Parts: sequence; structure tokens; C-alpha cells
Amino acid sequence: MSSQSPESIPKQEDGLMTLEESQEVLSSDTLATESPPQGNSMEEYYQLQRTLLLTTLVLMGVIFFPVWYFYSLNTAFNYLIGSAVGVLYLRFLGKDVERLGQQNQRIGSKGLGIFAVLIIVASRWQQLHILPVFLGFLTYKVAIIFYTLQTVFNSGETKENDS
Amino acid sequence: MDINSASVIAAALAIGLAAIGPGIGQGNASGQAVAGIARQPEAEGKIRGTLLLTLAFMESLTIYGLVVALVLLFANPFA
Repeated sequence: MSSQSPESIPKQEDGLMTLEESQEVLSSDTLATESPPQGNSMEEYYQLQRTLLLTTLVLMGVIFFPVWYFYSLNTAFNYLIGSAVGVLYLRFLGKDVERLGQQNQRIGSKGLGIFAVLIIVASRWQQLHILPVFLGFLTYKVAIIFYTLQTVFNSGETKENDS
Repeated sequence: MDINSASVIAAALAIGLAAIGPGIGQGNASGQAVAGIARQPEAEGKIRGTLLLTLAFMESLTIYGLVVALVLLFANPFA
């Protein structure tokens, strides 16, 4: 911590200050300025959430057209529905993790409920097929693997540059 | 035992057994994450980010069991 200017150190009424008192003032000032920047720390988490959601949406768009070309439009829409539910699930999971430690609640129950409803509807309704819907739902996982690999390679490059 | 009864029992076992491991894992991970945040509040964003990634992977194991159970119940190929 940088040294304080003499003007900033509060003085007693008689104009003198003992060594212990000045150290106390300094240490309390140091604690106040070094307290964690809570907003910046959570900003990193929000950035991760945004990156994952954006990557999942991009993958949705990229995979939709090959599925349409190689299979059919119906299968592609099945895939799209599954991946949309995957995005929703990821959003719910992100919200649950954000609230972890603040509220007493179970993690991921809402997302699992939505997924269960999706699979039941897919198995009951003739227009939907289970496999493309399920594989579409797993798109968020591909986005997570993408992000993890990106982080690993970026940290490897940073280490090489440092050395 | 007919095929329908066997399917119901299999579905119950699939989701029940598939939930045990990830349940314990998620509980451990969340507890450790909260303890870590309490010790180092300045690393809250990083800890929560890592927790999000690990929970997403852990919960997919439960999802596999759930899919098998729901397929056995609602789209059983043997019934």
C-alpha cells in the first residue's frame, strides 16, 4: 500500500499522535481501500454467463442448417426446440448458482422440470422425436466444452508469453 | 412379471440410481464453493463461474438417467 501523506493522518487535539495510534489509523485505512471490489468480481461471472449463452445460440444457428440439409426441416425444428430448452436450462442454472449461499433452495430443479416436460411432450406428440430434441438440448454442453478449451489454450499461450 | 411392470421398476431404478452420485457431487461442490466465497470474497466471480461449469457437467449425468426413465415410461420400445 502506498504511504499516506502527512496531511491525511488525523491529529489529536494536542497536535501529537503516538506511534500505535498512527499505525492503527494506517491499518484501518489500508483495510478500507483493500476491501474486495465485489461488483468487478461478479462481473466476471456475468461475463461467463453471457459468453456461454451467446456461444450456445451461435451453435444453434450453425447446426440448424446442416440438420435441415442432411435430414429434414421437421428434424431441424426438433433440434431447435431442444436447444432452445437447453438455453433456458443454462439460464436457470446460472441464476441458481448466482443465488447460491443467499437463499435456501435446491439447484437445478426448475431446469430439470422443463427438460422432463420436453421429453414427455416429445414422446407423446407425433411431430416431435426424442433423439433430435435430446441432442439439441445437449448443445449447451458443446458451448461449455468450447469455452473450457478456449480458456485452457489461452492460459497456455499466456504462460508461454510470460516465460 | 410383465414388460410394463418391469419397465416401471427399471425407470424408477434408472432415475433413482442416476441421481445419487451427481447429488452427492453437487452438494459437495456447492458447499466447498460457498466456503471458498466466505474465505475469499474477492474471488466470488471466479468461484461461481467454475461452479456453474462443474454443475452443468454433473447434472447432465442425472439428465441421462432421466431420459432413459422417461423413454421407458412413455416411449417404451419393448411394450
